[in-house]
Amino acid sequence: MGAFDMLRIANSSLGMHQTWLDALADNIANVNTVRSTSQTAYQAKHVMAQSLAGGGVGVAGIALGDPTGRVEHSPDHPLADADGNVRAPEVDMSAQMSELIMAQRGFQASVQTTKTAQDTYSSALQIGKS
Amino acid sequence: MPVSGIGAVGFTPFVPPQVGAAAAASTTGSSGVASASNGQAFGNLVLDGIDRLEGLQDKTDQLAVKAATGDLTNIHDYTIAAAEATTTTQVTMAVRNKAVEAFNEIMRMQV
Repeated sequence: MGAFDMLRIANSSLGMHQTWLDALADNIANVNTVRSTSQTAYQAKHVMAQSLAGGGVGVAGIALGDPTGRVEHSPDHPLADADGNVRAPEVDMSAQMSELIMAQRGFQASVQTTKTAQDTYSSALQIGKS
Repeated sequence: MPVSGIGAVGFTPFVPPQVGAAAAASTTGSSGVASASNGQAFGNLVLDGIDRLEGLQDKTDQLAVKAATGDLTNIHDYTIAAAEATTTTQVTMAVRNKAVEAFNEIMRMQV
């Protein structure tokens, strides 16, 4: 607790959204990562946020998606098994893009909070000036 | 910080004559500035502020070096620390200017 709580809380929010954006970037990057059916599929990362006791937000953990994935028929693929199947990750591109916009907007909102905080502190410094 | 207060160089604060216990209590109150101990407290307040400012600027400098060398993991860590250091510097300057202003006002006083 201190004079700069507004900045500290905004900082924690920026950190959480940064982690979320990183996870989404990883999910989108691996949307076409196929593996052989003997392996587990790429597991999508889901960031779990939690509020902190002293104010602010933190990352409670990163949950992993379904390791089964989707079995797709792709006989030309080098990793295809005897039946011509490969394992694709269970990542929904449209859901990831929607979350990407949400995370980006959340980050931008926190940046706006830091701007407002600085404006507020500057206003307080004007008190008593002739 | 090896900066000593004004009292260390031989300045003894002016203690106004007490009109009466009740009148003094009503004019100075809990936030009275007439006693020497409160003057010391203000000096400590400024010195504490400067110490904290030094720590903040150290932290910002370290993050700036990290940013330059590419070791910075989060950009906002640096920008927030820089914003905090800037605002703290402004607060410290405002307090210092007020203190110097008050000192000059007293020095101009006709006795």
